[in-house]
Amino acid sequence: MDERDFRVAVLGCNGIGRLVSTIVRLAGYQIRRRRPDQVVLLSSGRLAVKEPEHVEALRRYPVLVIDGCRPHCASFLCDELGKRPAARLYVADIAAEKRISVAGEKRRGLTAKGMKLVDAVAERAVEEIDRIVADEMLSTL
Amino acid sequence: MAEKVCLQPCLGLRKEAVLGRQALYVVHEDLLPEETVLGCGPALNANVQEDVDFINLYPVLSVEACELDCAAKLVKKKGRSAARTVRITDLVRELNIDFSALPEEDIAADDPAVQAVARRIAEHVGELLAG
Repeated sequence: MDERDFRVAVLGCNGIGRLVSTIVRLAGYQIRRRRPDQVVLLSSGRLAVKEPEHVEALRRYPVLVIDGCRPHCASFLCDELGKRPAARLYVADIAAEKRISVAGEKRRGLTAKGMKLVDAVAERAVEEIDRIVADEMLSTL
Repeated sequence: MAEKVCLQPCLGLRKEAVLGRQALYVVHEDLLPEETVLGCGPALNANVQEDVDFINLYPVLSVEACELDCAAKLVKKKGRSAARTVRITDLVRELNIDFSALPEEDIAADDPAVQAVARRIAEHVGELLAG
């Protein structure tokens, strides 16, 4: 990796069991599309088995954690690897704040209703990423 | 003879993982709802009891997106071994799926490729159940 390279590592839970798993995963792709040069998406599966490239990225970059459901598995993973996240998001907090209901949505495929929460999670994540990047820039000038 | 099979996908972000993930929803929700449980990797890693129970109670079919075999490694990390491992890359070849034609990030569950992979995985489940 380039020594001058600075990115924010985004660690979503990317689970499969719940509707929010799909929301977190799709939000991750949207975050990458919106900030392609500033983020690296981490795979929770690879990190859980300590795949060296992912562990290196986790250690190297500030991490934004996105937890989907109550066990906060992405936070657990970060803690397990000894990394303190620069920021954490919890999908339920964003759903409550934006008053977005996803009742009736299915984890195997979202409709526009579910995508509204995906958009909201991605929007909040991008705000956090911009803040982390600004913090880094202003701290090194 | 096993009562159910635990489907344990890799849950990566690449297209192969998305194809596998969608196929497992089809297997678990449509084809074999009574014969399968769907294991969630991050939850298993975080020791969520339900997911720990799944790998302790049932034979595990790990469904991998690549040669890293992260799902099988995670099961091993938690003290068990996958009874069988299938790789989506192998199934794509075996089933002559036009992989390049599939979208990158989200593949509809009714896509013929998803359905074909699901049916093949269901056959693996059937073999594991038969012992």
